[in-house]
Amino acid sequence: MAEDLVLDTAIRDWVLIPLSVVMVLIGVLRYFVSKLMRSDQTPDVKIVKEGQLIIRARNLRAAANFIPAKSFRARKNYYSNEENGLLHVPKGQAQNPQAQMFSDPNMAMDMMKKNLSMIIPQTLTFAWVNFFFSGFVAAKIPFPLTQRFRGMLQNGIDLSTVDVSYVSSRSWYFLNLFGLRGLFSLILGEENATDDTQRMMQMSGFGFDPTKSLGAEKDNLDIVQHDWALPKFEQRAEAVLKKLVS
Amino acid sequence: MDKNKSSDALDEIPTFNVDNIQNNTRIINYSRTFMSIIGGVIAGILGVNGLTGIVFYFLVMAITTAGLAAKTEFSVHSYFDSWNRIVFDGILGGLMSFVLFWTYPYSLMS
Repeated sequence: MAEDLVLDTAIRDWVLIPLSVVMVLIGVLRYFVSKLMRSDQTPDVKIVKEGQLIIRARNLRAAANFIPAKSFRARKNYYSNEENGLLHVPKGQAQNPQAQMFSDPNMAMDMMKKNLSMIIPQTLTFAWVNFFFSGFVAAKIPFPLTQRFRGMLQNGIDLSTVDVSYVSSRSWYFLNLFGLRGLFSLILGEENATDDTQRMMQMSGFGFDPTKSLGAEKDNLDIVQHDWALPKFEQRAEAVLKKLVS
Repeated sequence: MDKNKSSDALDEIPTFNVDNIQNNTRIINYSRTFMSIIGGVIAGILGVNGLTGIVFYFLVMAITTAGLAAKTEFSVHSYFDSWNRIVFDGILGGLMSFVLFWTYPYSLMS
């Protein structure tokens, strides 16, 4: 029972295309604004130190097979020794950096600014869409959905016999929101702030990073099996030379 | 992607050059996004409907995978760290862009 509604070209000109164009422009604007606002961030010395320590431990883990067993053990002990090993964080101090980070006014302001710069354009655009573009069929989505989606997708349309494929402009807004992420990654390069799910994961990970990852690194280092690569290198050199000569 | 081999040819001990792996992975993502956008527009223009469209999307992804595999001259291990990268990475992410760019010509053609 799908009546074939024909969508007005006026709708196409004045709703679909302007909405997409506006969203792309807002995304670009947000990217540049976030780049401008990111200028002043002097990182905390302690946090940088811990980060570098983790990187060193990780390098040790990755290249463990290239150094002799004794020197590997010596390095491992330096990191994970119980009393004064670098990675060993006593339980009492584990809470401190996190609390310190959240009460540090500078960093809290920074996170709030980033949060706001994400939420405000989305809210504004959504309100704009609702105000201007409600009450008519905006687009036709190509695949069939069940009746339960009707309330979500056809919000302004009060006829209940219209096929669920015809959606209102609110759902066009959401479709644009998700679909333009790929486009942004193409035109803005890697460092774009338009992907909010990614950034929320980043932000929630940042607060716990120093304390838990030290313990994680220590455990990982304990797990590593040392398998010295030198004995196999002769065969490897032979194979390489053979390939070169032949 | 040609010149940036990320691991040595004869390995029992695989070593990875991290920068090159990242670069190659980024190239895969760009390629997939681009192909999903183009595929979406094509699907919309052809008037592809419903489930056929989803199948079309996976077909486009398979073509992309084949293209990437051919570009690495089928020796995937010298450019990436596992097969999964070249086959599975970024497929679901491209789906949303595909649907958006599919809806566009489809509804414009009323």
